[in-house]
Amino acid sequence: MRKRKRDAQALLPPAVQIAAIIVLAIFVLIPIAYTLLLSVTPDTEIGGASLIPSHWAFGNYLQMWSTVSLAQGLSNSLIIAGVASVIAVILAVGAAYIITRFAFRGRRPYLYSLVGLQAVPSVMLLLPLFVLFASIQAALHFRLVGTYEAMIITYLTFALPFATWLMVSYLGSIPIDLEEAALCDGATRLQALLRVIVPLALPGMVVALVFAFLTGWNDVLFASVLTSPETRTLAVQLQAFSSAQEGGALPLYGQLMGAAVVSAVPVVILYMIFQRYLIGGLTAGGVKG
Amino acid sequence: MSTIQPLRETVPAPTMVLRPERGRRGIFGGRPMWLIWPSIFLLVVIIGIPLLIAIYISFLNLDQYTLRSWISAPWVGLANYVTALTNGGVVGASALASLGVSLAFSLLTTLLITPIGIVAALTVNTQYRGRTLVRSLYLVPYVIPTFVTALVWRQMFLNGTGPVDRFLAMIHVANINTYWLLGPNSFWAMVIADVWASWAFIYIMVLAGLQSISQEAYEAADVDGANAWQKLTRVILPQLRHILGLALLLSTLYHFNNFTLPFVMFGTPPPIQADVLPLNIYVSSFQLFNFGLGGAMSVITLILMLIPGFVYLRALRLGEVTKL
Repeated sequence: MRKRKRDAQALLPPAVQIAAIIVLAIFVLIPIAYTLLLSVTPDTEIGGASLIPSHWAFGNYLQMWSTVSLAQGLSNSLIIAGVASVIAVILAVGAAYIITRFAFRGRRPYLYSLVGLQAVPSVMLLLPLFVLFASIQAALHFRLVGTYEAMIITYLTFALPFATWLMVSYLGSIPIDLEEAALCDGATRLQALLRVIVPLALPGMVVALVFAFLTGWNDVLFASVLTSPETRTLAVQLQAFSSAQEGGALPLYGQLMGAAVVSAVPVVILYMIFQRYLIGGLTAGGVKG
Repeated sequence: MSTIQPLRETVPAPTMVLRPERGRRGIFGGRPMWLIWPSIFLLVVIIGIPLLIAIYISFLNLDQYTLRSWISAPWVGLANYVTALTNGGVVGASALASLGVSLAFSLLTTLLITPIGIVAALTVNTQYRGRTLVRSLYLVPYVIPTFVTALVWRQMFLNGTGPVDRFLAMIHVANINTYWLLGPNSFWAMVIADVWASWAFIYIMVLAGLQSISQEAYEAADVDGANAWQKLTRVILPQLRHILGLALLLSTLYHFNNFTLPFVMFGTPPPIQADVLPLNIYVSSFQLFNFGLGGAMSVITLILMLIPGFVYLRALRLGEVTKL
């Protein structure tokens, strides 16, 4: 293996480089450290003279489960974001396969609309979706607003265009020769797709799945209007918990921060595991909930 | 054995397409067009129709009482647009003022994160022990969910007890009881929190761009006797022009549409100085129940978004790449 010459690529003098890393690391770590510190500070000592509490209140991490219905929020978020992202990726693979393999009327408008739809402000879709759901439920006499189904449909509005766009760029990079070989051997189109393309596209599908999942997990906007107390997602529960702390007798900031840590850690771990693949997805759309 | 390749770390102006088969039947029989129909159907039902409804609503006088029969709600023409552009709601700023806040917020944030992102990318572009750790660390604020970022910075900026006020009081710059979540400072609190959360986006894009620059370019510059500064400004940055342009555009769009950060950080109604357009639309529609006004503001936002959207589409050059 060719050893990279360090000098040629170095653009920053070593001292500047080290200083920049240290400054950035401090900038990144201060709010994180404060969050962790606050999450183990007893409620009575928040706002005291010293930032460091007299004892560690690890109990915050136990109490918060009964103060907020965190477990319910976690499972709601998992179900809604999970189902929506799986549906989005399955539909996206099918659509992307057609787009990258065949010429058909409307192919280019379809591609343009995929990009264009990502510029549509989400708040613009929330209102008509709400109106649509409300009038469907008035006309057909069944509840839609506040159900899992309504939330899953809603999350598809941004998961589907994004996942399709990612899969189009991914399937486009898979050489057509491979499936042609399969087709020559007598495979049907569907077999070629399932046995040849899907296994090759798996990393791209994982990226699309993770991103679609996280946009759902991170969403506050749609969930704050379209969920009922039983289907409330983690993000909305935390937001409500946070605003309930204002004007109260003793703000439970320790538990609030504990809950914040619990909602962030799985996401950070997920990113770190898939880091290698996800960087590609991050640059793809800049989509982040 | 099929090797699973990671996604290329470049901007995927999709390197499509091979050879789309023309005509109704390819060499290998019929085209399985049914694979795309569910997607098209869903896109029309969940995005196309709602978009049309949004535009229709913007011409109606629609509130929580007329919502039940919204199709027959009174038609008011452009009245909502006039209201949106002239005066605000009972609480909060007018759409025009919010537009100013949103523009200032998205442009300023993008301007601030660009140099940070470039410097950060340069610090991990050489090989050294611990580089992987530094790269992971840089990503952490970016991958933390926005609602958590907002909760964290809300605590950071709490008046009197938050670390920001404590620090400023310690170095005798400001009173310990400076308000960051109310009044004019709230704009800056929002900018700082957003810079913290989003600079890694520029970092990722620049790093992807740096990795596509060949080693030879650096070495050639060395041979020519360029110093580090010349190498950066004459060799590296010109090659990053396109990816950086794309990054700035996407970043501005994303910040403009950021709803979660101000919503969770300030609650509703937000301080006027932090009343960004998406938040204003949300409050007008779902707290004041003036759906028509919210719709009008949405349409105004969409028209504004289409301008950079077209620039983005042109930059991607779909048509030329795909030869269609």
